[in-house]
Amino acid sequence: MFRSAPRASGYFRTDYAQDLALIQTRAERWSLAVFAAALALFPFVASPFALDLASQVFLVSIGALSLMLLTGYAGQISLGHAGLIAAGAFTTGILAREVGAPFWITLPASAITGALLGFVFGLPSLRLRGLYLAVSTLALYFIVIYLGGEYETKRGFSTGIVVDPPILFGIKLTDGRAWYFVLLVAATLNLLICMNLLRSRSGRAWRALHARETVAAALGINVARYKLLAFIISSSMTSVAGSLFAYYRGFVSIEAFDLFLSIQYVAMIIIGGMGSLLGALLGAAFVTLLPYAIEALLHLLPNVQRLADDIFAVDYSAFGVVMLLFLLLEPLGLVGIWRRIQNYFLLWPFKYRPLAGADK
Amino acid sequence: MLKRTVLAAVAGVAIAAPAAAQDADAYVVGITAAMTGPPASTYAPAVDALRIYIDSVNAAGGVNGKHIKLVIEDDGAQPSKAAANTKKLIAEDNVILMVDASLSSTYAPVIAETKTANVPLLFASGVCPPSVLPPAAPLEFCTTGYASHYDSQATLDFVKATAKGPVKIGFSAMAIPLSRGEMDHAIELSKKMGLTPVDEEVIPPPTADYTPFATKLKDADPNWVYSWAPWVTQVRTLEALRKLGWQDDYIAWGHLEAEAELARLKDDKFYTVNSNALFQEKLPIQQEIEAAAKSAGSKYPAQTMTEGWIGGMAIASALKGAGWPTDRGKLRSAMESLTIDTKGLRGGPIVWTKDNHFRTTLYYRFYRWDGDKIVRVQDWKTYPVN
Amino acid sequence: MQLFVNIVVLGSIYALIACGYVLIYRVSRVLNLAHGELMMLGAYLLLATAWLFRGEPVLALAAAILLSLIVGALVYVFLMRKMTGEMVLAAILATVALGILIRGGVVLVWSAQQQYPAQALGVPNPSLALPAGARISLWSGVLVAANAAVYAALFFFLRFGRWGMRMRAAGQSPLLAAQRGINLHGIYALAWSLSTFTGALAGILMALDSGLTSSMPIIALKAFPAALVGGLDSLAGALIGAVIVAGAEVLLIYYVDPLLADVVPFLVLIAMLIVRPWGLFGTREELDRV
Repeated sequence: MFRSAPRASGYFRTDYAQDLALIQTRAERWSLAVFAAALALFPFVASPFALDLASQVFLVSIGALSLMLLTGYAGQISLGHAGLIAAGAFTTGILAREVGAPFWITLPASAITGALLGFVFGLPSLRLRGLYLAVSTLALYFIVIYLGGEYETKRGFSTGIVVDPPILFGIKLTDGRAWYFVLLVAATLNLLICMNLLRSRSGRAWRALHARETVAAALGINVARYKLLAFIISSSMTSVAGSLFAYYRGFVSIEAFDLFLSIQYVAMIIIGGMGSLLGALLGAAFVTLLPYAIEALLHLLPNVQRLADDIFAVDYSAFGVVMLLFLLLEPLGLVGIWRRIQNYFLLWPFKYRPLAGADK
Repeated sequence: MLKRTVLAAVAGVAIAAPAAAQDADAYVVGITAAMTGPPASTYAPAVDALRIYIDSVNAAGGVNGKHIKLVIEDDGAQPSKAAANTKKLIAEDNVILMVDASLSSTYAPVIAETKTANVPLLFASGVCPPSVLPPAAPLEFCTTGYASHYDSQATLDFVKATAKGPVKIGFSAMAIPLSRGEMDHAIELSKKMGLTPVDEEVIPPPTADYTPFATKLKDADPNWVYSWAPWVTQVRTLEALRKLGWQDDYIAWGHLEAEAELARLKDDKFYTVNSNALFQEKLPIQQEIEAAAKSAGSKYPAQTMTEGWIGGMAIASALKGAGWPTDRGKLRSAMESLTIDTKGLRGGPIVWTKDNHFRTTLYYRFYRWDGDKIVRVQDWKTYPVN
Repeated sequence: MQLFVNIVVLGSIYALIACGYVLIYRVSRVLNLAHGELMMLGAYLLLATAWLFRGEPVLALAAAILLSLIVGALVYVFLMRKMTGEMVLAAILATVALGILIRGGVVLVWSAQQQYPAQALGVPNPSLALPAGARISLWSGVLVAANAAVYAALFFFLRFGRWGMRMRAAGQSPLLAAQRGINLHGIYALAWSLSTFTGALAGILMALDSGLTSSMPIIALKAFPAALVGGLDSLAGALIGAVIVAGAEVLLIYYVDPLLADVVPFLVLIAMLIVRPWGLFGTREELDRV
C-alpha cells in the first residue's frame, strides 16, 4: 500500500499480509529500533529547554497530522484549525474548573466536542470547495473564538483559566520528562491511527475524493459521508491535541489561539509536503524549531545587543521569508527534499535512474 | 545550486547548538517580553527603558561591584513561546531573576516554570496578577503601575469630587476579558457611590470605525465617560465622541502614550489618571531618563520609559539587597522586604513585604491639558492596599 | 440620521478594502490575504513621505500613492508570478507569508509605536456638521468621496478602457486571452498594482482619520466578507456587500449588543455561503479543487 514499486534491492512481497505490514524490511526494523531508542534516551541527556522543545514538537505534530489528513489527503482546506484546538482546550478548562472533572473525562469530552464542531465545520464542505471552503472555516474560527472570549469574561476568568496538572494512573504530571513520554505516546498513537485510516477504506475514499470528486461519486463512494468523516475525525484529533495543550501549559486563554496559529499549521503541512504523513511530522518540527534556529543564527552576528528590538522583528519576518522560500523553491516540501536525499543514496554512485526497469 | 546552498545553510545553523555563555562574574536576569506582535507597543518601550537603565547602572560600576547581564527573549505574546523562553533562561542562562513583560496570557506558564525552579519572578509593564496582592505567592512580584479595581476606585472618587452636580457616567472597554472585567466592576462601584451608570460600550480591538459605538454612548447622554483599556480604545472612543459633538468630561488610564497624546489632542476636558509622574513635572530623574535615552539612541521617546525605568530600579535594588555572591533564595528574601525609591516617578516608594508583593500604598495623580500645557489637576492621593 | 452617516462611512471603508480583493480575484482567481498588510504598508509609506516632503502634504500624499502602485506591481513580479500554476492553497499561503514579512518589516523600520500620519503631515481633522444633526469628520468624508470616485473610475475603466477590457478578458478565460495576444503578466501586474493602490488609499485615509494601528490587517479581514457577500468577482457586488455588512454591524451595535460587531461580518458570511456561495452578483463558477 505504501510502496507501489518494489525497492531497489529486489525485495518482493509474496502475500497480502506482507503487503499490508508497516515494517517490511530488516533494515526498516533496525532503523526503527535505533530511532525508538534514541527517542527514549533523549530526555536523559537533553537540557530541560531541549526537552520542552521536543515535547512541543510532539504536541504540535498531533495537530499537524490531523490537518494533513484533512487537507493533504481528503483535499478539504481548513483555515480554522486554531479554533478546534481552542475548543479542545476550553472544554478541558471548563470541565476542570467548573466541575472538577479528571483527565480521563476531559480528554474524551474534548474529543467529542471536536467531533461535533468538526461536523459543523464540515457542513459547508458539502456545497463548497477550495477557496470558499477555506473562507467558511475561517468564519467559523472567528465564531469559536468569540464564544471562548465570552465565556472567559462572563465567568470572570479575565486572565485565563488555570488548569491543574492531570493525574495519570495516580501520578501527577508535572515533570518535564514525564510529559515528554506522555506526548511521545500520544503522537505515536495518533500517527498509527492516521496510518491505519489511510490504509483502509476511508483513506482510499479520501484519496479518491481529492483526485476527482465526480469520478469518486460515480464509483459509488458516498462523497458527503466521507467529507464529513474527514472533518469529524480530524477535528476530534485536533481537539484532543488542544486538551493536551491545556494540560501541558496549565493554562487556557483565548489570546493563545490567534489566526497566526492556524496559519502556522497550514504552513507546517505545506512546508512538510502535502499528501505525506512524514511531511506533517517534518513540517511540525520545522515550524516549531524555526524561530529558535533564527535566533541562534542572529546571535552569531556581532554587536547583537545593539539591535535588541530589531532582532525580534527580523525573527518575525524571517518566518515569512522562509515560508516564501519553501513555496517558491521547493513546492514538494521537506518530504521532497528527503526523497531526493533518499534517491541520491539509493542510486549512488550513479546519478540517474535507468530508463527501463522496475524503479519508478 | 542556490537552493541547495540556502537550505544547507539553514540546516547547518539549525543544528549548531546555541552557545550558552555563562557569566560567572555578573548577575544574570532573564526577560521574556512581547517585543513583536500586536501588543508590542505597550511592552517594547518598557523593555527598552529597562535595558537602558541597567546599562547606565552597569556603566556606573554595577551593583555590589558586579554587572547585571540582561538576557531578553521575545515571546510575541504567545504563552507557548513564553514558557519555552523561561525554560531556556532558567536552565541554560542560569538566571537569578525572571521578568515577564508580556500579555497576561503568558503569565500562568511562566509562573509554573519559575515555581518549579524557585526563581523569583517580576512582572514589569504587564498587569499585576492577583497573586501578588496579599496573601502574596512567595515568588511573584510586580511593579506595574496599573491595577485592577483600585484604579477604578481612585478614578470614580476623582469623578465624584470633581463633578459639579449629579453624574451620569458612561464606560468604554476593549473586548478583552481584562478590560471588560474592570469596567463591569466600575459599574458596580459607581452605583454604590451614587453615580448613575448610563451605558457601557465594549469595543472589539480590530474596529475600523469607532463612531457607531460612540453614537450609542453619546445617545445615552452621559456627562462623564470613563475608559480603562489599552490606549488605542481609550483615545479613539474620545475622538469619536468629540467628533459627534459630545463636549463633556472624559477620563482614562494614563498609559505610556499618555503624555504625547495629551499634547496631540489638546482637549481640556480629557483627564488622565496616572500612577507615574508625567515628564512635564521636569523632575531631575526624568531629565536623567531623557539624557540616557538620547545617548542610547532609543527609537522610543523618553516619556514612554517610566514604567520600564521603574522595573529596572526594582531589579537593581533587589540585587543590591541580595548582596554578592547570592542565589535565588537570598534574592527572594531580599525582595520580600524591599523598598524601591522611585525618585518621584511614583508618588512614593514601592514597598514590598512578605505578604504584599504589589505595593503597600497606591498613589494616583490626575492630569489634563489646559490651553497650552499639561497641568496636574490633583496631586498624589494615596490608597492603602489591604 | 447619525446612524445613516455611520453606515455610509463604515460601508465606504469596507467597500474600498473589498474592491482590492475583488480586483485580484476577478483577474487571476487568487485570494490576496496580504491585502490588510499592504493597506498598513500604504499608511506607513505616507509616514515616510510625510517625513521626506515636510510641509507639503499634497506632495506627500501623491508620493505615497505612487509608491503603493509600484509596490503592488513589484509584489506581482517578484512573488505571485512565480506562483502561477501552483495549487490554490499554496498561492494563498504565499500571500499570507508576504503579509507576515511586511508586518515584521514595518516594525523593523518604524518600531511598534502608534503613529499619527495626520500629525506628521500637519493636517487637521475637524468635525463637519451635516443636516439633521449628524456629524462626520473631514477625513471620513474624504474617504466616502474617494470610495465613490474609485468605484466610478474602476467601472469606467473596466467597461470602456482598453486595458480594462483586457483585464476582464483575462479574468474570464486566461487561455483565450493569451491566445488573443493579451499580455497576461502585464494584466496581472496591473491588477495587483490597482488593488494595492485602493488598499493603500483605504489605509492612508483611515490612518489620517484615526491613526495607524497594528490591527489594520484584521480590519481588512473583516472587510473580506463584504467582498464575498457581493460576489468575489463583482465590483458592484463588493459595494453592495460592504453596505450590507456595515449596515448589519452598525444597527446591531446600536440596537442589540456592541460585542456582536466583531462576529457579525462572519455570521453574514456563513449565511451567504450556505444560501448562495458565489455571492449576490458573482458568477456561478466551477469551484476549483485544492
